[in-house]
Amino acid sequence: MAIDLDRCTGCMACSVACQAENNVSFRADESDKLRSITWLEVYHLQNGKEYPDYQFTYLPRPCMHCDSPHHSPCTFVCPVNATTRDEVSGIVNHIYPRCIGCRYCIVACPYHARDFNWWDPKWPKSMESMLSPEVSTRMRGVVEKCTFCHHRLLKARSKAYLDGIDPNEATYVPACAEACPTKAITFGNLLDPESEVAKLSKDPRAFRILAKLNTEPKVYYLSKHQWVHKLGDNSF
Amino acid sequence: MKEEKKSASGKGVGGIFFFGGFILALIFGWIVFPNLLFSEKAQPLNFSHVAHQDSTCDQCHSFNPDGTYSGIPRLDNCVECHESPMTSEESERILVEEYIQKQQEIPWKVYAWQPDNVFFSHAPHQAKNIECTQCHRDVSKEAKLPPYSENRLTGYSKSTMKMIDCEKCHAQMGANNNCQVCHK
Amino acid sequence: MKFGRRAFLQFAAGAVGGTLLSPMPWRLADDTAIWSQNWSWRPSPERGPITTVPTVCTLCQGGCGIQARLVNGNRAIFLEGNPVHPVNAGGICPLGAAALQYLYAPYRIEQPMKQTRARGEAAGFQPISWSEALDDLVKRLARLKSEGTPGGVACITGSRWNSMDDLWARFFSAYGSPGLFKMPSHSDSLRATAKLALGKDSPLAFALENASYVLSFGAALVEGWGAPARMQAAFMRWQKNGAGKGAAKLVQVESRCSMSAAKADQWVPVVPGTEALLALGIAHVMVKENLYDADFVSRGVLGFEDWTDMQGKVRSGFKKIALSAAYAPDQVAARTGVDAAKIQGLAREFASTANAVAVWGGGQHNVPGNIYHEMSFFALNVLRGNLKSGGLVSLVPDVPFQPADDQTAASAEGGAPQVKLGSVPGTRVPLPGNGIYGFLDILTRGMIPPLEVLFVHDANPAYSLPENKIFKAALDKVGYVVSMSPYMDETAMTADLILPNHAAFEGFEDVVGLPGVPYAYYAVSRPILKPRKDTKHSGDVVLQLSKALGGNVAAALPWASYEEYLKNRVNALAASKRGAVADKKDIDLSRLQSSVSVSPNFKDGTDLWKKLTGGFCWYDVPVDVRSALDTDSGKIELAFRAIQGKGLNVEDDQVYLPHFKPLPPSGDEKEYPLLLLSYGMLSLSCENLANPPFMTKTLWDFVLKKNDLFVEVNPSTAGPLGMSEGSKAVLKTPQGEVAVRVHLSQAARPGAIYMPQGLGHTAYDEYIQGKGVNSNSVVEVQVDPITGMGTVWATRAQLRRA
Repeated sequence: MAIDLDRCTGCMACSVACQAENNVSFRADESDKLRSITWLEVYHLQNGKEYPDYQFTYLPRPCMHCDSPHHSPCTFVCPVNATTRDEVSGIVNHIYPRCIGCRYCIVACPYHARDFNWWDPKWPKSMESMLSPEVSTRMRGVVEKCTFCHHRLLKARSKAYLDGIDPNEATYVPACAEACPTKAITFGNLLDPESEVAKLSKDPRAFRILAKLNTEPKVYYLSKHQWVHKLGDNSF
Repeated sequence: MKEEKKSASGKGVGGIFFFGGFILALIFGWIVFPNLLFSEKAQPLNFSHVAHQDSTCDQCHSFNPDGTYSGIPRLDNCVECHESPMTSEESERILVEEYIQKQQEIPWKVYAWQPDNVFFSHAPHQAKNIECTQCHRDVSKEAKLPPYSENRLTGYSKSTMKMIDCEKCHAQMGANNNCQVCHK
Repeated sequence: MKFGRRAFLQFAAGAVGGTLLSPMPWRLADDTAIWSQNWSWRPSPERGPITTVPTVCTLCQGGCGIQARLVNGNRAIFLEGNPVHPVNAGGICPLGAAALQYLYAPYRIEQPMKQTRARGEAAGFQPISWSEALDDLVKRLARLKSEGTPGGVACITGSRWNSMDDLWARFFSAYGSPGLFKMPSHSDSLRATAKLALGKDSPLAFALENASYVLSFGAALVEGWGAPARMQAAFMRWQKNGAGKGAAKLVQVESRCSMSAAKADQWVPVVPGTEALLALGIAHVMVKENLYDADFVSRGVLGFEDWTDMQGKVRSGFKKIALSAAYAPDQVAARTGVDAAKIQGLAREFASTANAVAVWGGGQHNVPGNIYHEMSFFALNVLRGNLKSGGLVSLVPDVPFQPADDQTAASAEGGAPQVKLGSVPGTRVPLPGNGIYGFLDILTRGMIPPLEVLFVHDANPAYSLPENKIFKAALDKVGYVVSMSPYMDETAMTADLILPNHAAFEGFEDVVGLPGVPYAYYAVSRPILKPRKDTKHSGDVVLQLSKALGGNVAAALPWASYEEYLKNRVNALAASKRGAVADKKDIDLSRLQSSVSVSPNFKDGTDLWKKLTGGFCWYDVPVDVRSALDTDSGKIELAFRAIQGKGLNVEDDQVYLPHFKPLPPSGDEKEYPLLLLSYGMLSLSCENLANPPFMTKTLWDFVLKKNDLFVEVNPSTAGPLGMSEGSKAVLKTPQGEVAVRVHLSQAARPGAIYMPQGLGHTAYDEYIQGKGVNSNSVVEVQVDPITGMGTVWATRAQLRRA
């Protein structure tokens, strides 16, 4: 995935579409960001200068699906194999019923991409009708995070099987990239050098957040501002 | 002597007790328990697969264009033929009067119902030429729906496949066995 | 043989052994594990085939094509952009993405309700049947009409870009009341400007997709200006060159570093409210340095050079005004805070870059502006020659519904729906625009005849009208308030009767034109679900009322249902044989030229209806300003000739021309040393829809924390007041006092306080109610003396520690 921060207008459609797609629960008070569950959190970055030299940008942060050899930071620490990386798709996933709620993975993740269900998810009764059957609802005491809309990949692969196409060629777009009204989010196969996303990852504006940790995040950001690149490497 | 006798008889009798307990437990564990564990539930109406042999399987059990599988057909499928009763059978009367006329979906009890967190797609399995009967019962000669056995503890059907069966076959076939291949 | 202790133990050992050899323990362990994963109190979403239904979003005026995902055809689970639709090309805004939360909102009204106690008492609402409710209403309306006081009925509606607008106008025209008012919008200003300068009663439009230099005077371009998704797409296009080098340069003139300013290639910070002064400073440089399109201006514009008024008196033109010392760069620099050299630089850049355009956008997000200032911004486009055929500035085209409309409707139209405030005595302004504030003012002061019935449709003025206490005060003088809101909002709470409308996506709606967009646009939004509550479309309510009233009202609105009325309009549209349906991917509507007409790709009305309800939109070429011009002089008029003889001081030549004339906020500068400005965010719904929980989740904790709203203040302003990040404070304006917290931000201009719009609801549910403060309760409206429109730019304020 590549996210062009110069194109991002901070409208939050990505984050909202993510919540709607993935049955992310919400509570009456969501202003305590340590307790709030958000798969696609958007960060506010600013250059630290004074008015009128001040500048800011938004940075949408899905799970990085770290590609570091053998393990992502989170999968490495999971004592029950509830979170694993599929070496075929490269997607790191989390199986809720398997999770014992120890939260080691939350501690291990340098990107704060994981959230814990401190309470049972609860929706206003009438809003239960808008829950998607394609993603299971979580329960109290488990961790959850962005899956790159893995269920959409599964569906795309199913369709490929049905249509007689090689399922490994199946393409899909996660809800955030689909929703973005400025098409700032590009999604595709980083291993295919011809793909748009692979080209963007080699763009001179491209950087990865906390690249120095060698977690090999699979999300690339693009920004023309050097201060954004700098912030991407030392603050989160 | 007394002691010896006692112990001897104890031994013999003890063996009987042990054996009795052993047999009773086996009987309980193998025969009584399974019956206790499952409760039989009736389907809302009988469906005879035999009676529908003029149609092909995929007229009702078909793939949707998006790669998902229809599973048990919805009422719309039934309405295509059963707008009004075709026979005088009781199940047909129930179908027409209780469901079609009231436009209510039939609350079938699904023999292979999986939990919410399971993702299963028929498409890849069909592509690998796995016969339906490898996982489902053979319905080709079935005139009466078998009783639905519900596990009292888990609430799932007796014939709901468990993860170990999926994993085993995936391993044998060399398919991906990562958790997220089947979980959502 | 005795079954002693030993025997028992032996028996038990045997039983254990037997059990271990039976499947029971393993089965139990396994099943218990599965049982432990059943969280029965957690909702298990119903499964079923998933289908996709295309339609058009009607939550705002943006006209986005969307598609809904449904489970079993009856449960909507997700809304996404329609990739085939030319406006949003698959993208969606956060409101659209969260839209189903309105459909399934717990605060929806189940059925018609009647207030049985004092107005405003939540417990007093009693359900009544539709027939009872409508009968009661018809009696009232019939009585007023027969008593010859139809003026005792009025309506405030938020509909302006759909056919409800037209239906209400027909109803009020036939019923005989001038009382149809719309919620304020910035397009009121764009319309007033076009009316003045071009003689056309349509809002101005800007071909921003084709611009390569955009000079924005406070327009919240990426935060909801105009048609929001279209603006996002235009912004994407400006960025498109890649490598961080845009295809267009965006310059944002604004006092605060808003999102648009942050995204701009250049942010020009100004003193709040002096954007128009800067525009005139730029005009000064352009005129002085001869950087304007002299050929276009001399041939096509009246009022640039000196001109002769209707009495034959020679008046000075805009050229003289612009060249006056007040707009010289150093003078402007002193008042705007922008360097003189920078002003000159901007002027030269604006004048010399191909396809440069100036846009603007009212002080408060989506509220009309001061007409003199609007005209000043417009003047820059005139100087740049942007109003030539095929230029970047034109008008929002009308959708040709007229030809096939039946006779009665045509006569209703011809019967001049005088629904502007100008006809209400005591509110005469020279060039009447949106008259809602004048109307509320008269209402409060006592209207004759008194207002007996007030409809509130598609609007929540008790919350979202700037300086909302004006509405609340006026409400006391209304005999009977009828709310048509689908939700228990602030206005519905104060109603006597609630006739709940369908929520979006439950009934047929349409979109007529897009704000700020130069091509013609029409779309039909078909329902994706059956109505979930006992609701009725407000259009059907109007038609039923008309039918029951009989006579000329019934004759003017002869349709059996709103759907039929829309079909009738679509038939008319098809009969016009104009435009085409965008039924393919990648149709680029911004390339349409007024000179190259498109050929229809629909057969007849039925075919067009089928295509439109299939989620496609109808479009047609932009207006050619030259041929559309409808001024007396046949030229673009920079001078307001029409205000002559309307009671203004006509000695001063400036009165006729764009100039800098801020409407002073009330209050003593000593008592209120700061200025309060409110700002909008695309991720915080601020009009008649309360923010959905999905969007509230995305709010920063420095905008809302628990129930506290944060105002943005520059540290250099907050420091001397003894405030630090998060300090609790009291914000006081001449309008009232509210408790807030302080967020120190370098985005804020020193001396100003910035407050988000869209919080502080008192109605709805626990996810919305009581969160923050409603900016509309503390801002002040300044009525523009020329148009009578309520403008909002800044309010004097003081901030003190709590």
